[in-house]
Amino acid sequence: MALLVLPACLLVLGLLIGPMALMFRISLNQFSPTQLMIEAFSFSNYVQAAADPYYQEVILTTLGMALLCTALTLVIAFPTAYWLGRLESRWKSLVVIATLFPLLVGNVVRSAGWMALFTREGLINMVLLKAHVISEPLTLMYTPKAVVLGIIAVVLPYMILTIAAVIESIPRDLEDAAANLGASAFQQFWRVILPLSAPGVAAGSILVFVLCMNTYATAVLLGGPRFKMMAPAIFDQFVRGNNWPMGATLAFMLLAVTMSFTIFGSIAFARRYRMR
Amino acid sequence: MISRRHFLSAGAGAATILASGTPGARAASGQVVVGTWGGDYGQLLTDLIDKPLLAPKGIEVLQDVANADPRKTKLLAERQSRRGSMDVACLSDSDHYIVAGTNVFDAVDATKVSRLNKVFPELRTDTAIPHIYSAQVILYNENLVNTPPTSWADLWDPKWRGRVGLADILYPANTLAAALAGGGGVSNYDPAEKKLMELRSLDVKIYPSNEALAAGLKSEEVWLTTMWLARGFMWKKAGIPLSHVVPKEGAVAIVFEASVPRNARNKEGGFAYLDAMLDAKAQIAFADKMGYVPTVSDAVLPEDLAKHVSLSEADRGKLLKPDYKYQTERSQRTLDFWNKQFKG
Repeated sequence: MALLVLPACLLVLGLLIGPMALMFRISLNQFSPTQLMIEAFSFSNYVQAAADPYYQEVILTTLGMALLCTALTLVIAFPTAYWLGRLESRWKSLVVIATLFPLLVGNVVRSAGWMALFTREGLINMVLLKAHVISEPLTLMYTPKAVVLGIIAVVLPYMILTIAAVIESIPRDLEDAAANLGASAFQQFWRVILPLSAPGVAAGSILVFVLCMNTYATAVLLGGPRFKMMAPAIFDQFVRGNNWPMGATLAFMLLAVTMSFTIFGSIAFARRYRMR
Repeated sequence: MISRRHFLSAGAGAATILASGTPGARAASGQVVVGTWGGDYGQLLTDLIDKPLLAPKGIEVLQDVANADPRKTKLLAERQSRRGSMDVACLSDSDHYIVAGTNVFDAVDATKVSRLNKVFPELRTDTAIPHIYSAQVILYNENLVNTPPTSWADLWDPKWRGRVGLADILYPANTLAAALAGGGGVSNYDPAEKKLMELRSLDVKIYPSNEALAAGLKSEEVWLTTMWLARGFMWKKAGIPLSHVVPKEGAVAIVFEASVPRNARNKEGGFAYLDAMLDAKAQIAFADKMGYVPTVSDAVLPEDLAKHVSLSEADRGKLLKPDYKYQTERSQRTLDFWNKQFKG
């Protein structure tokens, strides 16, 4: 039986661990503008990046955006997930497909659509100007608000489907029993549904948080050149600066922060809701 | 497994050997993979070079479309590989200098590229052919800017507060323009840092791409920018009311080049491609469609086209060639300053 996991393990080892080990080795090298990369074995890139106020701000912005987007996505997704989990209709599979539909469009294409809405001559400004709500076009593009909206649009289906799958498995009788014992709708949600759906909330939040931490296209296209997140900063070092050692260093720093928060969050969540 | 590419090149090679009887004398044929930009440039390569000039010779061209940065990264990542993924790599002169420094490209000479003797001598390099070129100028909205600027320094006039826009992707060229405005030059970017911070305090707008900058100019969000003259020509053709000025401190030239990587699978095809890129008729058509100036002496532009895309005799005297060595050695500082201080 144990052999059944072998193909997946080999795939992960070959395509994830191998390149990551190589990348980690690169992060210990030194950059030279003319030779590009000089063989070395030093953690100086990590020290330099960690001490640089610019990268500290980039990491904090990335973390802040990821936490905010995860929280907002959870709040927006939960009611829909509850409705979907409780839906008993022959159209249920169509609703699930409709939820997945945004994932069929690539991030870049989706962001391009948002750009058409947000520009000075975009749909939102056009409607508001025509309705005389505003006299000058609003600046919507290249703002953090645009990035938050764009990211939530990308990650919402993941959260909805993960939570809906868990809610589906919670017997409806438990809500009826709670109501029978005098629990209000909010008490039913807070004392029964939320604790029992905790595994789905935790899994969905982790999935969404990891995706938000690694946001690239949405941050670049909707946030503009001045918006700072880690994935564009890594791209900058690898591709625009040809500085692979620093690019690899930043990638591992992003990985470390993401893993730390994911593990810490999972433990905290498990303790709060006594998940096993 | 035999790929289609192997099959084609092996088949074509065998056929030529049989025909010529001498392995060394075989003509270029088979499939050539060209790493290039997409959009108008890629389409014009197809229409003006691939189909009319190379297809009749039995060369099938496949385009590996990407921006310069991913292409540069791919060339560097593949440099240790015995076989690379590109037979021709198109890059700007500055990018070519960086990649060529790692010994990625084969030497180019007249035995491999017969039309090399028609190339203007000042544009020649050891490992690339110059395909087209242009110069960095100031573009301004002729309806809104009543007194056109005459120098880079004029862009720092407070009366243009919030009306100057820059493309983020052109950060090296923008940094050089700032250096020139501050009294520096192609070998001295030091004044650029102070000047860029001044421009920041004048509410300069930064756009992620040239296309986004064009949209900003069209919507009159910005009135002035620094850009390649050729881009300005295209934007004018697209209906944006723009004029250009060659600044008195000098205009930096940009040359778009093409090279054959050392590990190209079809080197002969690659060099045949470089030769076709220097075709006079194709170069004139590139100038007409994209506004970039020919690099060969026998490609003479019609007068009405030349006045829009070429520099006058006086302006040609202001053309500056980048100091590639200085620019490369300072590249990390330039990028860091642009990201951390100027945009930060």
